[in-house]
Amino acid sequence: MSPPVLPTPASDPQQWLARFGDELYRFALGRVADTDTAAELVQDTFVSALGALDSFRGQASERTWLFVILKRKIIDHYRREARSPFVPLDLSPEHAPEAEFFRPADGHWREEQYPADWPAAGPDQNRADLALEQQEFQEILQLCQQRLSAQQRAVFVLRFVEELPAEDICKELGLSSANYWVLVHRAKLHLRRCLEKNWLQAPTAA
Amino acid sequence: MSRIPSPLFNCQQATLLVERRAAAPLPVRPRVQLWAHLHLCPHCRRYALQSARLAHAARPAAEAAVPANLALPAAARARMQQLFDAHGSAQG
Repeated sequence: MSPPVLPTPASDPQQWLARFGDELYRFALGRVADTDTAAELVQDTFVSALGALDSFRGQASERTWLFVILKRKIIDHYRREARSPFVPLDLSPEHAPEAEFFRPADGHWREEQYPADWPAAGPDQNRADLALEQQEFQEILQLCQQRLSAQQRAVFVLRFVEELPAEDICKELGLSSANYWVLVHRAKLHLRRCLEKNWLQAPTAA
Repeated sequence: MSRIPSPLFNCQQATLLVERRAAAPLPVRPRVQLWAHLHLCPHCRRYALQSARLAHAARPAAEAAVPANLALPAAARARMQQLFDAHGSAQG
């Protein structure tokens, strides 16, 4: 149940926690997948909002304003994460992470890494099966995201969950365009394989 | 087998172009090379489909991961309440 968005001329910070706290927390938790971090981001959001109260003049709803601040906090979180362990991008072909998937000599898929066919929704599938399959897929995708390197995860989440433009992500994470594409590619390669191993190999409902 | 990393014969390059193509149209030459590669390579065709599926699933998956009625943990809520109390008394 979401609270009604009222065009409030003046802000009322004492109501924020009760009105928006849970909603902000759920939003954050979908993006950082760790309860402590999500709660921290909400708290940081409130601290920043209280500090910037003068700049809030009721042009937007308080709710919208708080979400803008929270989104900024999420980007900052991923910027910190992606910065920590330095991941070299310019390795020799034999040592690059891509060598796990492709033969360095000619760039062909390694035979054991050939993408398998994924089940598509067939006409014989009923809606309940489909919904279950979808749910499983989403759960495993979330787990697989957590196994990515910090840089790959940052790029993947900011691009495909937050849907930021590539240019903005490069600026936020201090990446060249070439490095950005390498990271998107690696993230997709790892996620694709992780899903294939954990989703397709899962025993079909007993 | 070409030693030049042209996407025409190189799956690593071709799948990288698949990612770039999703964001913006490719220049003519790589576009044609990728088209030809995908025409010939069933593995990269699969990759292209699955990569798009991952991209589309990412946001719904993030939202579905959190139960719709989940509330802030009590300890975190109490901490934040202190914050607002302090702010309130400083104002008042």
